[in-house]
Amino acid sequence: MIGFRLSAQRPPDPRRVNDVVVQRFDHVYEVDPALMRDHFQQHDLPAWDTRRIVDSRWEHLAWMHAHWADSVVSGEELMSAEE
Amino acid sequence: MTATMVTDPVIDELIGICGPDNVFADRSSRVNRARVPAPFPVHRWAEHVPDVVVLPTTAEQISEVVKLANRYRIPVVPRAGGTGLTDGAVPLRQGIVVDVKLMNKILELDLDDRTVTVQPGINMLKLNEELQKHGVIYPDDPASYPCSLVGGRIGTSGWSLIGGRYGHTRDLVISFQIVLPTGELIWVGDGGGRKVRKSSTGYQLKHLFMGHQGTLGIVTEAVLELVPRPEAEFAAFFSYPDYETAWRSTGALAKSGLATLAGVVLFDEWKLAYLRRDDEAYIPQPDDVRCVVATAMYGTTDEVRPGAKRLLRIGKDTGGAYLGDEISQGDWASRHDRYATPLHGRLRDGQVVPMSWHCEDASINWTQLPAVREKWHDIVARLGDRFRIFDDWGMFAYTNGAFKPWGDYLTEIDVGIWEQELDDEAWDAWVTAKRDIAAVSIAHGGSISACHGACREGEVDLVPEELGGGWDVMKKVKRVLDPLNIMNPGKYLLDQAYEDGPS
Ligand SMILES: Cc1cc2nc3c(=O)[nH]c(=O)nc-3n(C[C@H](O)[C@H](O)[C@H](O)COP(=O)(O)OP(=O)(O)OC[C@H]3O[C@@H](n4cnc5c(N)ncnc54)[C@H](O)[C@@H]3O)c2cc1C
Repeated sequence: MIGFRLSAQRPPDPRRVNDVVVQRFDHVYEVDPALMRDHFQQHDLPAWDTRRIVDSRWEHLAWMHAHWADSVVSGEELMSAEE
Repeated sequence: MTATMVTDPVIDELIGICGPDNVFADRSSRVNRARVPAPFPVHRWAEHVPDVVVLPTTAEQISEVVKLANRYRIPVVPRAGGTGLTDGAVPLRQGIVVDVKLMNKILELDLDDRTVTVQPGINMLKLNEELQKHGVIYPDDPASYPCSLVGGRIGTSGWSLIGGRYGHTRDLVISFQIVLPTGELIWVGDGGGRKVRKSSTGYQLKHLFMGHQGTLGIVTEAVLELVPRPEAEFAAFFSYPDYETAWRSTGALAKSGLATLAGVVLFDEWKLAYLRRDDEAYIPQPDDVRCVVATAMYGTTDEVRPGAKRLLRIGKDTGGAYLGDEISQGDWASRHDRYATPLHGRLRDGQVVPMSWHCEDASINWTQLPAVREKWHDIVARLGDRFRIFDDWGMFAYTNGAFKPWGDYLTEIDVGIWEQELDDEAWDAWVTAKRDIAAVSIAHGGSISACHGACREGEVDLVPEELGGGWDVMKKVKRVLDPLNIMNPGKYLLDQAYEDGPS
């Protein structure tokens, strides 16, 4: 069993992406916490939970493709074959 | 005018018809069926709570419930998924809500004549999980695909995201059984054969009994179209530096004549600005990405691959830049997810507030899109100047024709509304804005609604203007079929059909 690990709990410090968005994990954007102060507070999420949500999201998208068709055609591949 | 008289003896009779486990008079069962996700005057919630909810399991039970309602003159409101965006399933006069969710069975799968017969409470996603085992699907794909039900799709005559390829609900439902407002059970379709797609016998009643928002009866069984499960899916998203180029490119893509093309959708600058607030696909895009056009194709691999090459070429030749596989594929797979998220809302100072989603859904011809867009954004801007609780979430225009995706577009302006802050003044201003938006659609030769129906406050006032002489026919039909105004009274201004008393 894996025990408690602080790094799995505490998210990394944010870095600013633009005026309204910050980023703590690769490809994961977050609304600037300063904009979630007056009327709606941001939740604190442990790092592992953010990773779980992001992974589930990818799984969901893959499921949705497979739900509708046997395969997905890649535009990048078609374009590179044309060149 | 229908009166409400739900008393204990009535509830006893309902229990006799539907069984003791399927009749609910408790507060939470009723309060939860008072609204749908369309903006709702939450400060007046109590006005819409029904008296009793029934969850029947057979067509005969529904027929008996409707006959009882006629005897006692109690309003009946059909309800399926409760996701409708024109308040169709909202009880305006309390009464009995007939919730069809327990009628969710597949009754017959006919792989030879390519039909599936279902009850009205089945959801399309769940249905397709079963159908795909047999190499077929039922391709009605609204953005509410995971949560709306076949009965509601027929009640609204819904619009599908892939309708350009496969048709919309009215094209995909072949025939159905309906309990008329007086309780009789009939089948309607194209002619009499339940699995016949085209007939010239008699009046075309299927269309009359679709999209009536529960004012002409309750669907109890439906025969649906089956199509081969697609071998291949292709999605391409293109970016543009300005609206004019994106709009022209949309027209060129839609007119390509590619048979596998399922839809083309144009996001305007407001929509892009809104998506940049919190959507991971759009936040990293450079500033010169101001508009986006999305396309999707389905079919056999032999058709989709060459079609996709052609589509990519048209997009590029008309000024679009392909946004890459990750966004194209990922965003297309997210097509059901992005709407009902409350935390997209912003005040003008940028602070996040919980807002609910409203969308206008007019049908507008391609030539009229730029002018309608300007006018609609102006209306919403003026509303936002007066009340901070309204937020412009941008517009999109989506190919609207079945099988021939050109000509007219489902045109949506999405508006965030901070419902908790609503009061009568803000609600009245909202209703006026909706009326103004509908007036623009009509003035530009369009229709108020492409998919949801037009019976919300505000827009409904202009339905007689849009339909002209057809409006008088609509009232006559309602009065003949529902002489006591039992079915969903108050919707679509149809009380006007009874102005000289019940027939
Ligand atoms: C996030 C989201 C996305 C959406 N996207 C789309 C979209 O892409 N395309 C689209 O068309 N719509 C869309 N909608 C609107 C809505 O999902 C559709 O109008 C849908 O057809 C409603 O189905 P429902 O089962 O929820 O019906 P309900 O809301 O329960 O009912 C809709 C109407 O049909 C009547 N009705 C219900 N059952 C029956 C029955 N058995 N017989 C007769 N009448 C009945 C009701 O009285 C009501 O008037 C969306 C809604 C949401 C919340």
